[in-house]
Amino acid sequence: MKKTEQLLEEIRETNLTYLILAQKMIRADRVQALFRLGVSEAVADILENLSIAQILKIAASNMLMCGFRFSDEIVWNLLTRDSADSNVEQVHAAILMAGAAAEAA
Amino acid sequence: MTRRRSVVDDAREVRIASELVELGARVQVLETETGLSRERLLRLYKEIRKKSPPRGMLPFSTDWFMAWLPNVHSSLFMQIYQNVIQGSELDEIEAIIQAYRLYLEYLHTAGLTQVLSFTRAWRLVKFVDAAMLRTVPCTHCGGHFVVHTMELYDHFVCGLCRMPSRAGQTGGFRTERRERAAVH
Repeated sequence: MKKTEQLLEEIRETNLTYLILAQKMIRADRVQALFRLGVSEAVADILENLSIAQILKIAASNMLMCGFRFSDEIVWNLLTRDSADSNVEQVHAAILMAGAAAEAA
Repeated sequence: MTRRRSVVDDAREVRIASELVELGARVQVLETETGLSRERLLRLYKEIRKKSPPRGMLPFSTDWFMAWLPNVHSSLFMQIYQNVIQGSELDEIEAIIQAYRLYLEYLHTAGLTQVLSFTRAWRLVKFVDAAMLRTVPCTHCGGHFVVHTMELYDHFVCGLCRMPSRAGQTGGFRTERRERAAVH
């Protein structure tokens, strides 16, 4: 039971950090934030205007508010492959990531 | 120009022109993208770069974007650009500026050398606007890559899925890593 409590606490902290960072990024540079976060304009509007109380409430969930952005297996294979030309794989992954983000938005 | 220019528009154009100069754009790019006089643009260029702008024509060939390394960088830039402009209210030139900054930022974090200059990136967008170049998805990895519009790509496989044997061996990725290895 104690383990679960600790896990929930870590999820809450991660959510809190993530939401605060997202809000900060949107307020600092909206265009770049949309690219980095991979959220739509509409979601960005909501995130930007969240109050501290709302952020705290949303963070206290048993689910993570941030998910893995790239569900494509190819991307993960490229990022984790240990080859002599890792730079090539890295830039290949970057092209796929930027493209997947464009399709999802 | 007979119409009096608004001061706000003028300020915006000077801001955009300054950003373009800082990113390394050629004067011809500034002339196309702003309504500022050539004389003012030259002064602006000299103030920011502390030297006279290079003379001569802009690179105009679409073939440059087809060579292996330029194509990788061009495709990455185009993905970022399409990502940035999609659903945003930015002007094209502002989206190019933002996308180019994100491209440079990526190179910095990945420790790669810049291949695509700002002027090339700008030309790339213009070529795509003019339907001379476009992007097609690779049938292997699904990534989108820059190609000539006129050619057919039914079963397109990108240069990263099917690497040419000498790709990246001369002056490209490999040199960069050796340099970095030497530093650490």
